[in-house]
Amino acid sequence: MKFIKSSGKKRIINELEQRFGITSLPYLLIKTGKEKIRGFSGSLSKDEILQLVKLANIEIIGIYLMKEELGMDLRLSFDATQILQSQITKNIIEIDEKQFADWIRGRDLDIEIQEGVYIIKLKNDFIGCGVSNSKKIFNYVPKERRIRN
Amino acid sequence: MVYEMKPLFKERMQKLLPDKEDFEAFEKIVHTDPKNFIRCNMLKISPVKLLERLNKKWKVIQPYPEYPNIMLIESELPPGGLGNAIEHLLGYYYVQEISSMLSVIALNPEPGELILDLCASPGSKTTQIASCMNNNGTIIANDLKMDRIKILNANTERCGVMNAIVTKNDAVRLCERLSKSEFKFDKILLDAPCSGEGTLRSSPKTFITWNYKVVRNFSRQQKKMLAYALKCLKVHGTLVYSTCTHAPEEDEEVVDFALKNFPVKIEKIHLPLKCRQGVAEWYEKSFSPEIKNTCRIYPQDNDSEGFFVSKMTLLEEIK
Repeated sequence: MKFIKSSGKKRIINELEQRFGITSLPYLLIKTGKEKIRGFSGSLSKDEILQLVKLANIEIIGIYLMKEELGMDLRLSFDATQILQSQITKNIIEIDEKQFADWIRGRDLDIEIQEGVYIIKLKNDFIGCGVSNSKKIFNYVPKERRIRN
Repeated sequence: MVYEMKPLFKERMQKLLPDKEDFEAFEKIVHTDPKNFIRCNMLKISPVKLLERLNKKWKVIQPYPEYPNIMLIESELPPGGLGNAIEHLLGYYYVQEISSMLSVIALNPEPGELILDLCASPGSKTTQIASCMNNNGTIIANDLKMDRIKILNANTERCGVMNAIVTKNDAVRLCERLSKSEFKFDKILLDAPCSGEGTLRSSPKTFITWNYKVVRNFSRQQKKMLAYALKCLKVHGTLVYSTCTHAPEEDEEVVDFALKNFPVKIEKIHLPLKCRQGVAEWYEKSFSPEIKNTCRIYPQDNDSEGFFVSKMTLLEEIK
């Protein structure tokens, strides 16, 4: 568990703004593992959390927000696309019911679009991120959130 | 398959429900399926919008005007129908039996508070607390085992809970350490592990697994948990102790233990279901008169599962 400093947070917001139009992350950002970034909206300060670490076996803080992979754009988690939906203004792919039926079952989408990370949306619902290789959109819906056939 | 009550369990329930018709109503309803209640997750969607969406596919009502987030699905559903709906996958609602919502209603969490949910998995109450707090303030959500933590985490993520810190500890040891630190909680929920007599409708296997030794063992464990939990509470803070069992050894006896050993007051609770007062005596034991402020929920009163809720305030520091 590593708290992301304000300079790191600024860089993340800057990247998110360029890609999706997101300008604000009013949370404590925490890096877990090599690539995952979590957001904590709670009232405990960093110092209080570090104090708590000495008393309790902490497994998880806040919510998984995004993944930072080398050489790739930041990829928002399924839930982050909902949490941040009011700020997301660009790189949105709106899908129809038929495409949604595939997407929510974990299948890739046959959509040709420039390479990069995109937010997937059905009507008013934000339903995660996909990554395009210019020929199709790869599916990142977590297994536990897919509809089972 | 129809399960039967074990003779001792039946005898005890008849003692709790001495009116013949009342007992017969209990005996009849525990062999029926529970109703399909859901709780709107207001961290993600308003009850108005959720109701509008769900009414397009099911018949949904809001049975409690004071709590518009509580909804009842009246339509017949296929197996897995609630869990596989898109609104569920998006975290717009949580499938939760009405009686299980009562502990958090009694706790009345507010934004900005520091709250300890001591036996938190699977997360129905943690997510309900976060919804009341609008993700402001902090929840320490604890459970003992990793498999349970994984379920808890899956549910907090699905419901967009951002203000929780999930810990994996033995509840007593955690409270022992916290009580010696500067962490004191505004509110604590102790929804204790129990013999589950109230969940016969959803878990009929309890008819088979029930035995009195288990009740006694849980009672000892619950008293220990409650004693240590109270030490983590701020003065004038609130602790809700609840179980999903009817056994007085795990309910009134535990609360009575707290009354006799700690400076606590049992508060009256206003809940949206018909509640009966806690029992004043049980076999050879008599409990404090304050026990009448605790609430027993019987399935035949509300067409629900069975439950027990109590709410206590810490009057002075425990040394």
